[in-house]
Amino acid sequence: MTVNLAAITGIGSVSPYGPLTGLIPPRLLEPESITAWTTAGLRRAFVVKPFRHASVVPGLKTRRLDRLSAWALVASSLAIQDSGIDLRELDRSRVAVVFGTGFGCAELTEAFYRSALVNGWSGTDPSPFPEGLANAPASHVALWHRLRGPNITVGSKSFAGQTALIQAASLLLHGQADLAIVLAGDTLTRAVYEWYEAAGLLSPACYNSEPLPEGAGFVPSEGVAAVVLEPVGRRPARIEARTYAHFSSGRWAAGGQPVETVRQMLGDSVPSLIICAGDGRPCASSSTTALAREIGGPSAAITAAQPVAAGLPDSSALLHLILALSDRALSNQPLSSQPDGGRALLLGTSGDSGFAALLLDLP
Amino acid sequence: MNDPRKTIVVTGVGVVSPYGIGLDYLQAGVLSGKCCLAPTKDVYPGFEGTTAQVCGLTRPANGASSRYSRSDRLAMEAAQDAVANLDCKSVAFRESGVGVFMASTVAGLSEIDPEIADDPAGWYRRGGLSRAATYPAARVADAVGEHLGIQGPRCAVSAACASSAMAIALAANMLLDGAAPMMLAGGSDALCPFTLSGFSSLQALDPEPCRPFDQNRKGLNLGEGAAVLVLETLAGAADRHADVLAVLRGWAMTNDAFHTTAPQQQGNGLRDCMRLAMEMAEVSGDEIGYVNAHGTGTPLNDIAETSAYETVFHGRKRPIPVSSTKSYFGHCLGAAGALEAAITITAVRCGALLPTLRLTDPIESPGVNWLRGGVRREALPLAMSVSAGFGGSNTALIFGDERLGASA
Repeated sequence: MTVNLAAITGIGSVSPYGPLTGLIPPRLLEPESITAWTTAGLRRAFVVKPFRHASVVPGLKTRRLDRLSAWALVASSLAIQDSGIDLRELDRSRVAVVFGTGFGCAELTEAFYRSALVNGWSGTDPSPFPEGLANAPASHVALWHRLRGPNITVGSKSFAGQTALIQAASLLLHGQADLAIVLAGDTLTRAVYEWYEAAGLLSPACYNSEPLPEGAGFVPSEGVAAVVLEPVGRRPARIEARTYAHFSSGRWAAGGQPVETVRQMLGDSVPSLIICAGDGRPCASSSTTALAREIGGPSAAITAAQPVAAGLPDSSALLHLILALSDRALSNQPLSSQPDGGRALLLGTSGDSGFAALLLDLP
Repeated sequence: MNDPRKTIVVTGVGVVSPYGIGLDYLQAGVLSGKCCLAPTKDVYPGFEGTTAQVCGLTRPANGASSRYSRSDRLAMEAAQDAVANLDCKSVAFRESGVGVFMASTVAGLSEIDPEIADDPAGWYRRGGLSRAATYPAARVADAVGEHLGIQGPRCAVSAACASSAMAIALAANMLLDGAAPMMLAGGSDALCPFTLSGFSSLQALDPEPCRPFDQNRKGLNLGEGAAVLVLETLAGAADRHADVLAVLRGWAMTNDAFHTTAPQQQGNGLRDCMRLAMEMAEVSGDEIGYVNAHGTGTPLNDIAETSAYETVFHGRKRPIPVSSTKSYFGHCLGAAGALEAAITITAVRCGALLPTLRLTDPIESPGVNWLRGGVRREALPLAMSVSAGFGGSNTALIFGDERLGASA
């Protein structure tokens, strides 16, 4: 028996699909040639095309911000808009912001290093310093929407997105917030891309324009996904609220026995759908898929990790979830007609035995 | 508060500070009023000023040096100190699902050279690849987990200078959620050119030893260190007959939503945060015996913080005793909240109200008793540690002395 703790009532994203409110209309994306910096030969990635932030969120000023902060502002605004919440009617001291990221504001961090390279450490440019802090995106979201609740930025190898969702649900459960804006994402910079490359993590698809092969490695991606999380049961539900999914529980660990732990969390139920929040490896050889098969058995539908999201190795979970919900909405096959209702598991793995599993009920 | 499964206690404290490696050195240092701040020249490129450095940090084993940043190594030492009374080599401990919640703002920035901005691939080829891998803050939590061989959830929090106090608060939430039977929570940050240059460029540094809450304060000094608390439920601690060092009675987190770097001038965010922590702890302002302040020594922070104390403790029978222990070894950024939690626990356990050093001309504030001069000895059932940071983050932690009935 599991209890729904929180409902996802709004979705917004800035991703290679563009800035979008709500679900992402499924369409095949191919990696694009990188033009933001000079590369030796073809280098491809899933990139967010530049757009005018104020054209999506009127009045937004992002000139001095890291792109991660700017996208967090846009994605959070779109998610709030999608939820139908009027923040003016809320006690904003009870609204939390929880952001999950792997690299944080890498763009301005690099800008600060560049400033040190050019001017020496004693002559650095002050502007990128505070804006390069990892918590800058979450604090800008708080500042723009005037949200005075807990403001938390978390990182967790491979599981920053899952961790953000779990921490946000925990705040709601303990009455430390009445509403949470949960975000996860990263930007792709030259130093990040070349680090992946030097570490041998990239797919051959980064270097030629052929369709994505089933081979080792991933194609880097970027973007920020946001959801609005509202508590279930502690206050009257908003009548007009659409619910994309209910969050029931979550577990993550750096090791141990993932199958036993997840089965314990599931209790007697078996998920109808397992969403692989993958690590970039192809579906057939992914440890996430293998774990999903072991947990879900033959009856569970398993959605493979989607390349656009899998290119965010640490912060992909929310984008994976949104893409899976989008696919499901398009297929128009409600899971609730299946034996165990609409129970879904958002599952990720890391390293030898690290895992994160979030249990969701889909209406 | 009476449910031992819902009461969070501290059963271990590990510290690496400019006083030395181990909680004992920190306790002896602060209780004797020793200042670790010293002139620093020709140590960090382009920097001349005042800092407090950690000496005698063990070098990692051959081959492992580039896998761990200085922040990682500070964290690993502090964690080792924190679990000194646990059989952490046993399979039972390692497989029990103990979690790690660490904070860092520097993390692996100390290991990265500016050349990365010009030619990342070249810098990686010249040996930077593994050093760059220490860059994410999550790496500090992984370093602690790997060092102790524990396999529970691992997470890092970045909330600027409120980070490690927030790590403690979030770890306490996780214990209430049953996500782990025990959490190691704290923070670690190393001194490095990146942060020294950053704060210097913002003109936030006092070239001399800082003077928090003094009318003539000029800014902060940076220090380095790490602190890790062992947190578990009172029921868990009782099951394994562990000594309880303190009870974490209340915690809260808020945001100013005011400015990227400046605090809200009336300290409203910090005010709300302290009130929420007191509400959770079910205590009044009269019951808090001491506040270990954020007290950076910057003009804006100290005024906002003072204003918050005036409001929160308005109506108290006696002015609230407040001090900033950043006057002893500077501002350790992401580690500050955890180090100050360790000091607050020391204050509670020793019944010691610690003074702010070099506080000669305090900010006028009738509701605040600025502690200065020598250590004042008195029973201290409850004390609060307050942290704030860039981005408007605030965290308050209330610790109680279990021997004085603070868990009731």
